Amino acid sequence: MNSPLKIYLIVASVLFFVFIVNMVRTKKLKLKYALTWLLTGLSFVIMAVFPETLFFLARILHIELPVNALFLCVIFLLLLIVFALTVAVSRQATRIKNLIQELGLLKEELKSGDK
Amino acid sequence: MKVLVIIPAYNEAENLPGLFKDLKQAEGDFDILVINDCSKDDTEKVCREHNIKVVSLPVNLGIGGAVQTGYLYALRHGYDIAIQVDGDGQHDPQFIKYLIQRLNEGYDLCIGSRFIENEGFQSSKARRIGIRYFSWLIKLLTGKRITDPTSGFRACNRKVIELFANDYPIDYPEPETVVTVLRNRLKVCEMPVIMRPRAGGVSSISSTNAIYYMIKVTLAIIISAISKKVVTDSE
Repeated sequence: MNSPLKIYLIVASVLFFVFIVNMVRTKKLKLKYALTWLLTGLSFVIMAVFPETLFFLARILHIELPVNALFLCVIFLLLLIVFALTVAVSRQATRIKNLIQELGLLKEELKSGDK
Repeated sequence: MKVLVIIPAYNEAENLPGLFKDLKQAEGDFDILVINDCSKDDTEKVCREHNIKVVSLPVNLGIGGAVQTGYLYALRHGYDIAIQVDGDGQHDPQFIKYLIQRLNEGYDLCIGSRFIENEGFQSSKARRIGIRYFSWLIKLLTGKRITDPTSGFRACNRKVIELFANDYPIDYPEPETVVTVLRNRLKVCEMPVIMRPRAGGVSSISSTNAIYYMIKVTLAIIISAISKKVVTDSE
């Protein structure tokens, strides 16, 4: 697979990885949430440079076409990330709700204290 | 005995003055607290004009989040009984004393039900079918017959105040919370009340989100029935 495609893939995956590192560096992305993306980016780079890893993966998973092994892994990973995000959103929603209630009660207390 | 009447209100400026008048005429000694769920109208101003305590939420939380704020207030200010009355004027405050009576008989939560005597406003046919279905589902899961699980006219004691202050669903909370209370082995009863059609405003359940409502509440009831108990048995 020494085609231009390989070059493109390597360039794209390296750029993706650098982009994520930069986002973390400039604090636009919390490291906690960036970890999965860093690992994803790194595995993209590895697979682009050494496609053999993908063939190996397909063999141990008993999947005939390496590309299907890739799809399987990517879909699985995406599901994990989306699920983690849903958990994070639920937690945030509860925290925000508690803050709003607390703020409302505090405002009332302040006003009744004025009288 | 300290009693708090919790009134969740979203854009109820038109209906509140009438409700305040009825509350003043109703028997019993209670404080009134309006939870203004970030209304776009003069709900807060109307409350201040009538000298009624009002907690104004800075962001709209939905009925459950508003009501829970009321329970938090009741918990922190040491109220023994909290009574929920809708801000739209559907609930007649003259029944409050009967709800309190039942709590004094040893019940933890008393729900005002339209469907015991079948008097007054009975809601639309479609809604009655929905309510009967929830009633059946709750009976199936908890063994207890609740004729009006969607009623937001209810009174509860300190134990339930603590439970609700801790955990209360954000949207369409009524049927789910009945199951939570039953699940925690607290005693629930119903009291016949006469409801009125809403004086103004619109219901939070429209026909477009009815399907979401049915699915969400069904799931919530089932999950609530298999949730862990929060209240530990005192005996």
